[in-house]
Amino acid sequence: MLDNNKISLMTKLAIYEKDEGEDIKLSKYFKMDYLRYQIIKSVVSVTVSYLILLIIIAFYKSEYLIQEAVKLDYKAIGAKVLGIYIILLTIYVFSSIVGYSLKFDSSRKRLFQYRKNLKQLRQYYIDEENELK
Amino acid sequence: MMSLLVLKERLITIYQKIEVYAKPVVRFFISMLVFMVLNNSYGYDLRFNSLPIVLLLAAFCAFLPTPIMIIIAALLSFIHFYFVSKILSILVIAVFLVIYLLFIRFTPKQGYVLILMPICFLLKIPYVIPILLGIIGTPMAIIPVSCGVFLYFFIVIIKQAAQITVSMTVEDTLQLYTFVIDSLKANKEMILTIAVFAIVLLLTYFIRTRKMDHAFDIAIVTGVVVNIFVFLIGDLRLDIQDKILALVVGSIVSGIIVYVVQFFRLTLDYTAVEYVQFQDDDYYYYVKAVPKMKITVPQKNVTKINEKKVSSNRMNVKEAVKNELYDDEFEDKFDEFDDYPDEDKKR
Repeated sequence: MLDNNKISLMTKLAIYEKDEGEDIKLSKYFKMDYLRYQIIKSVVSVTVSYLILLIIIAFYKSEYLIQEAVKLDYKAIGAKVLGIYIILLTIYVFSSIVGYSLKFDSSRKRLFQYRKNLKQLRQYYIDEENELK
Repeated sequence: MMSLLVLKERLITIYQKIEVYAKPVVRFFISMLVFMVLNNSYGYDLRFNSLPIVLLLAAFCAFLPTPIMIIIAALLSFIHFYFVSKILSILVIAVFLVIYLLFIRFTPKQGYVLILMPICFLLKIPYVIPILLGIIGTPMAIIPVSCGVFLYFFIVIIKQAAQITVSMTVEDTLQLYTFVIDSLKANKEMILTIAVFAIVLLLTYFIRTRKMDHAFDIAIVTGVVVNIFVFLIGDLRLDIQDKILALVVGSIVSGIIVYVVQFFRLTLDYTAVEYVQFQDDDYYYYVKAVPKMKITVPQKNVTKINEKKVSSNRMNVKEAVKNELYDDEFEDKFDEFDDYPDEDKKR
């Protein structure tokens, strides 16, 4: 026999799983672990893109750099490059913390409803078993 | 207005019926447009600048998610520029990488803006995107919009550089490279465009989130007007005079497009039919879930349509029953379950 109640419930669950699959992925993390993971990803991507930008700029200034190679104040240049990197990194780490915590919290809210539906489904199965007995 | 609303309902009913086939077809045509525009504007490598290749790629993209299309478009651009000059192609790929890593990674769902932006520029209606995203999106959309503008101006400059290589007999790599960076640095129009688009997007977003009558309409009109005026001021300052007519016409056309999209969006958003499959111990289920239509247009003249709605709702119910899914009748029973003691609370 088809149980319309159950099908409706299962459909709701299936639609949620299809549309908000990322929520379920997030549900496997603790908040701190998830944030740490995202921060590491941000740090790596900022570092890589900063290196690419540095190479682009260095190549652009290569004529000047080669001509003045002896006279250049490497300490000042290094400090500047490092300083910009640290500022950029701080901005990105800070905004990842804010952005991803918001994302995590909102996913938890949606998951609450999902878990409520799951519990209902389990209740169905318990009831079914009781009927059989 | 009445006939328009009726037309909208008819279109939505048709859309619900043919959605499965419509989506890949629409994706096919959009990706075909993207690749054709791309090939038209810098199709240097003739092996890839042919209709069969474009059709093949578009067919490929019809069934794949949008990010794949963006990657394919980026690769195609790389191939074309590689054909002209290696250094330009490396620069293109480096810039793509930086844009992705620093910006688009955080707003992956709006990555399509990156591709749409240059195409709308070529169609002379780039203003449609900030206004539209102000209406349907969040302020976060400023990121992909700015990247899209940058990408367009970057590609224009790269194209100029590529033309220089064609006329040059000996390729002076470094000179070409510095030409590109110099033009990027000196490009005040790009900075103006990014700034104006950000202002327009924020303003439309701000107005449409206010709780007042016709917030959406006012937001669109304000977006168009502000767009024209700020661009006019900027263009006069930068002494660009040949674009004023295109600016006014383009802005108004953009406003109309946004209005049309907005007109259909409210309902289309909620009427996407869901196909899901799952199983329990006894059956496999292949369910088509048709949402019930709810018109939430905050306008007075909708009342008449609500009478019509009853009939269309009935039709939906029929369809829903057909699929052995009838939500509302059981809703009350679900509510009873809500009263069951929560296990978490016990703990």
